[in-house]
Amino acid sequence: MYPAAFEYFAPGTVDEVLELLARHGEDAKILAGGQSLIPMMKLRIASPRFLIDVNRIASLTGLRQEGDRLVMGALCRHAEVGRSGLVRLRLPLMADAASQTADVQVRNRGTVGGSLAHADPAGDWPAALLALDTTVTIAGRDGLRTVPLSEFIVDAYTTQLGPIEMVTEISVQLPKAPSGGAYVKFEKRAGDFAVASVGVQVELAEGGQCRSIAISLGALGAMPTRARAAEALLLGRAASPELLTEAGQLVQAEAQPFADTRGSVEYKRHLAGIIFRRAFAAAVDRALGREVETLHV
Amino acid sequence: MAQNTYIGASTRSKEAPRHVTGRGRYADDMVLPRMLHACILRSPYGHARIGAVNAGEATQLSGVVGVIIPDDVKRRSRPFKPGRYAAGLRVPIPEYASAVDKVRYVGEPVAMVAAETRAKAEDALELIEIDYEPLSAVTDTHAAADPSAALIYEELGSNVAWQGQVSYGDVEQAFAGADRVVRENLKIHRYSSTPLEPFAIIAEHTPERLNIWCNSQAPEVVYEAVTEALGIDNVRVIVPDIGGGFGQKIHLIRKYAVLTALMAVKTGRPVKWIEDRSEHMMAGGHSCDQEFDVEMAVKSDGEVLGVIIRDTDDVGGSISTLTIHFTNKLNNLFNTYKVQHLRLEGRSVLTNKCPVVPNRGIGKPGMCFIWERMMDRIAQELGLDQIEVRRKNLIGADQFPYTTPNGNIHGSGDYQELLNRAIKNIDYDEVRKRQAQSRDTNRLIGISVVIGVEPGGRNAARDMAIFPESKQMPGAGGVEGATVKLEKNGSVAFTLGSPSCGQGHETTAAQIIADVLGVAPERISITGTFDSALSPWGVSSSNSGNNFHLYDVGAVHGAATRLREKVLTLAAHLLQTDKASLTIENGIVGRVPRSGSAEDDSITFAQLGKIAYGNQALLPDGFEPGLEQTYYHSHPHANPLMIPDAHGRVRAQYTFSSAAHAAVVEVDTETGRVRVLRYVIVSDNGTLINPSVVDGQIYGSAAHGISVALGEGFVYGADGQLLTLTLLDYGKSTTLETPHVEIEHYPIPDPFTTLGQKAAGEGAAIPSPAAIAGAVEDALTPFGVKVRHLPLSPERVWRLIHESKT
Ligand SMILES: Cc1cc2nc3c(=O)[nH]c(=O)nc-3n(C[C@H](O)[C@H](O)[C@H](O)COP(=O)(O)OP(=O)(O)OC[C@H]3O[C@@H](n4cnc5c(N)ncnc54)[C@H](O)[C@@H]3O)c2cc1C
Repeated sequence: MYPAAFEYFAPGTVDEVLELLARHGEDAKILAGGQSLIPMMKLRIASPRFLIDVNRIASLTGLRQEGDRLVMGALCRHAEVGRSGLVRLRLPLMADAASQTADVQVRNRGTVGGSLAHADPAGDWPAALLALDTTVTIAGRDGLRTVPLSEFIVDAYTTQLGPIEMVTEISVQLPKAPSGGAYVKFEKRAGDFAVASVGVQVELAEGGQCRSIAISLGALGAMPTRARAAEALLLGRAASPELLTEAGQLVQAEAQPFADTRGSVEYKRHLAGIIFRRAFAAAVDRALGREVETLHV
Repeated sequence: MAQNTYIGASTRSKEAPRHVTGRGRYADDMVLPRMLHACILRSPYGHARIGAVNAGEATQLSGVVGVIIPDDVKRRSRPFKPGRYAAGLRVPIPEYASAVDKVRYVGEPVAMVAAETRAKAEDALELIEIDYEPLSAVTDTHAAADPSAALIYEELGSNVAWQGQVSYGDVEQAFAGADRVVRENLKIHRYSSTPLEPFAIIAEHTPERLNIWCNSQAPEVVYEAVTEALGIDNVRVIVPDIGGGFGQKIHLIRKYAVLTALMAVKTGRPVKWIEDRSEHMMAGGHSCDQEFDVEMAVKSDGEVLGVIIRDTDDVGGSISTLTIHFTNKLNNLFNTYKVQHLRLEGRSVLTNKCPVVPNRGIGKPGMCFIWERMMDRIAQELGLDQIEVRRKNLIGADQFPYTTPNGNIHGSGDYQELLNRAIKNIDYDEVRKRQAQSRDTNRLIGISVVIGVEPGGRNAARDMAIFPESKQMPGAGGVEGATVKLEKNGSVAFTLGSPSCGQGHETTAAQIIADVLGVAPERISITGTFDSALSPWGVSSSNSGNNFHLYDVGAVHGAATRLREKVLTLAAHLLQTDKASLTIENGIVGRVPRSGSAEDDSITFAQLGKIAYGNQALLPDGFEPGLEQTYYHSHPHANPLMIPDAHGRVRAQYTFSSAAHAAVVEVDTETGRVRVLRYVIVSDNGTLINPSVVDGQIYGSAAHGISVALGEGFVYGADGQLLTLTLLDYGKSTTLETPHVEIEHYPIPDPFTTLGQKAAGEGAAIPSPAAIAGAVEDALTPFGVKVRHLPLSPERVWRLIHESKT
């Protein structure tokens, strides 16, 4: 389990990274937390000849509030997100995701930018952040561009990043009260990837109707998706058991899971409906100001 | 012997401090001058013929020093002789250290490269070209047994490599007299203990001999394999610290010892080979998937009259451990029950999966699963209480020592009382009330109480009951040695005959020596780990078969007792008194009652040591100088039935611990997730030498058995690809899924062992799968679900519920 030989670079600026990418092209890979790339290199599924370690670029670290947005540097670690008071208060959906991604060691190293760039179909950040208004900032030779997350990931393990580009920031809109969100992940055991996951973010009107609603699905297709039909059904309405059953069915219909050791298509689709309902209930409770711990289903 | 001061106390662990501070010394920590690093090329196919092999480019890569391909293995080594567990083979089949003509499972070793660095060696692996002709793979015993199936060993003419049976009592008669026959089909899947440290080997060929450092649990296997395969009989096997064994490191490790040794011979340099996790997952050995068709003849009051079990074992792609899971079922064939008539029929079916190896209980968890699932089923079919059906059939407390129909002698026990205590500790009636309330929700509560024996201490003559035709008697009974030495400075050193995988042997042995010799454990230390050139070892010198408690404890106790005699003889001479008037306390030998000044009346271990090794003039006439004693122990009560009698009755093992387990689970009926809410064990391990060491064994084995029941395991695709190559996919429970295990000790000393001790190593891994299965079934009573097969992963449970509705 030793990677093939590679040349190692540790640049101090984004510009240097871009320069290295330009020089070495397809043979180069960016190393962030290394929690996906290093295992692949050890298994020799990936054998980059040039490794560009971006961990020394101070401008890519940390998270902060900028106006009504949460801005995370590409190197912001999963654990940092989980610890952030702002996240816990305003974006409990992200706190749910942060605390259930992998295990403590991986969370201390793995980065939000790496997770989005890696675009694992069962990745937690891609699925969780899709339920929020999330944008990704990309640095390239022509400067910076910002794209919505829904356009950033284009397929399993595939993003619209060009060969001479990197992610520098991820920015999430802070929801307006009264709103709440929850990310429910069904994993076979703690630390595993999701069998299926669902993120729900709702904003409630005075009568309890959904003023806005986003439902994201993880591990239920080649890439995370929004359950648009279920969202449309619930929008503007107050949830009733019948409505939720119907919404659950729409969620199931929109899920396109594939079979693997984590579960069959049938089971994953079934789970999608069940955990959607639990996520929805938790999101609404939180929107109403009730304290709801992260659900372990 | 003086009074027990240390035996029975949870003294401070001797080995834990070095392990928890990273100072253990494992094979991979060792570096020899000029050492090469090897790695192995493994089969990517479940079943394929090996054609041309081209290693030219790999050999030429800079840094590469040696390459071994199938031709080298064929030319330069001999195949292994069929061992004990291939005894039932119809025709002899040579098995080499690597695949030579065909590969029969994904991960089977095919070639080895040694280079200056491990990375270089791995680079070279990618350059070896092998022409495989893929053959169709079989991964299921039913398909494999079909006459049209691809043959895994053409020589055998069938994938059913062995068929046989054992029978005790008059089974037909028992069935004829029954009110009813209860039938069930049960299955246990493939799993492993996945020890933290995979295989690790260093081989060095010197002009004098071949030295092998390896983490083998059973050094004898490596010792003999290397001699057999390479024809080198001056072999020294050294076993450093081992990062967990559980049975994984007994059998298949010999292949790698031979390959590594061959590489050391070929290159003339020391070679290190460290297996990685995925290699261990695919080729280190699995516990066998077993299927049982069971019939129990019962009376309407729940009494079991007779039993027929048809056991189909999926033994994977090797003939070397064909019958290992079958033969081990003789060890707990009747579990805790007094049933007299039983027939066990077995078939070992080859498939294109990893070969099977022992795993914490080997076949015994399966045997216990059969009994305990059937007890529940009998109760359901007869409308009786599940615990009452057990009670009806338990061996009575007044029946000990009890001989089972197949010849096992249970020395002591009280099975009813274990059940009583488990029921009390789990608040049985209270749980039933909560269960009733849970029935209105989607979180159903279930409870189960099961019981099992844990056999200990090997006797390989057991196998003669199954293979009466076998020409060679496999090592009967057991032999194990130990050395205890009073050093010149008054400290005490001891050497065990067997390796240890982390079960606290150093601690436990020191306690025994401390009490026998009259010196604090702090003054006692182990000389080192196993070394075939230095350790007093015999056939039981393997960290397997629950051997330690019987053989090592006996040997250590014997050596310490001999040394005590010698110490007293010398002290009596020096103090000019007779031995009988002396006692030893705290490393000081003195007269009782003590009088006068200490100097006249007593002598310290240090003074004795100085004299024994240094002053001939002060030694008694005829006294052998030095204070070192070695003792080889065999079980003094190994007879009767050490070898099978005319009815095939034989002591499969010698001691029988027992335990009742009670589990409370909650099943989420929407997702199928099972959570274990409480887990209670009441355990009789005989005399406890160190309760916290025994607790450690129980916690670990319960955690594993519960995880096995809940979903960990190997999964193969239909093409023979292993889909669970990493621990992430394999799915062992973490601490978050593992319940706190509540232990009550209820020890009843064994009348036949040195200190009344019984086994504790396999422990809770034996009954726990049955306990979880029973509790899940109980929870799902409203759905009428029957739990027959493990594992109970969320999807499985969801399907059971789902299918019951349709
Ligand atoms: C045992 C284990 C369990 C895990 N469980 C989970 C889980 O439950 N849920 C989950 O979501 N994830 C899980 N992961 C993956 C983990 O979250 C990774 O941290 C994450 O997927 C990748 O982030 P990273 O920073 O480690 O990226 P790296 O491994 O460093 O890189 C991953 C990929 O992204 C590229 N990349 C990284 N940063 C950038 C950037 N700024 N711009 C452009 N490209 C970039 C790299 O070139 C590489 O191709 C697990 C990992 C392990 C080892």
